[in-house]
Amino acid sequence: MPDELDKKIIGFFQKDIPLEPMPYKIVADQLGVSEDEVLSRIREMITSGVIRRLGATLFHQEAGLKANAMVAWLIPEEEIDEIGNIMAGFREVTHCYHRRPQRDWRYNLFTMIHGDTREECNEMARKMSERTGMKDYSILFSEKEFKKSSMEYY
Amino acid sequence: MDPTDKNILNEIQSGFPVTSRPFLEIGNRLGLSEDEVIVRIRRLKEDGIIRRIGGNFNSKKLGFTSTLCAAKVPEEKIVGFVEVVNGYIGVTHNYLRKNAYNIWFTFIAPDIASIEAALKEIALKTGVNDILNLPAEKMYKIKVDFEV
Repeated sequence: MPDELDKKIIGFFQKDIPLEPMPYKIVADQLGVSEDEVLSRIREMITSGVIRRLGATLFHQEAGLKANAMVAWLIPEEEIDEIGNIMAGFREVTHCYHRRPQRDWRYNLFTMIHGDTREECNEMARKMSERTGMKDYSILFSEKEFKKSSMEYY
Repeated sequence: MDPTDKNILNEIQSGFPVTSRPFLEIGNRLGLSEDEVIVRIRRLKEDGIIRRIGGNFNSKKLGFTSTLCAAKVPEEKIVGFVEVVNGYIGVTHNYLRKNAYNIWFTFIAPDIASIEAALKEIALKTGVNDILNLPAEKMYKIKVDFEV
């Protein structure tokens, strides 16, 4: 678990790092610690997996990926790990999660796929279906983005 | 975007240098000056290509919990529902999708109880009662950088 200094550092890096030659030094000065301390804390958080990734996040639409779809699958529970791992192996799949079905929602495996066109996403889902033998699925395209932000933890 | 911009983007999406002068290091890798790297990155942000440069955190490892929620919202209630839902800081993604469950949003919070409480509050405020809370049982993949 992060200590107080980690939380303060996270408070900076959950937002934008300064686009200046020495960004870590700027953060360190504001926190009243050394630049080395900030650098080593960040390295530790990367090693421990607290920081999943450090770098630029793009507006995907503008970066050339135009169609985003959530494909929800009905997978027999006893096969879910095997199928989940196969689905995760597709390059176009960015997220793959097992979730428990609820009420009238039947699907238990969720994959996010991205492509240039909807047709490409449809084709990708068809390939995933063929590869896994799973035929019961539903493609839900993103029709509109209402919010996309980064979590502010501290 | 020219090829140099693309090289920079591919270089800085993951593995942003954790060294005193990260832009100098990126410049060295690509044969550019530190200054040119900074100027180009600033422009890519202004042009709306780069959303943010910073950390992406594993919420679980910070002790937070996250979930995916889906709601059945009648057409005429969508605007109001989205306004209420997006008002929560823990709601980080929210999309309209074509399905009986037409509004899909992610929710991050310190614990599951605060998410459940928020969902009750949302239902109360909006009159939308069909909201599913679908926490992940298992994650098989999360990939967040794209080759451009």
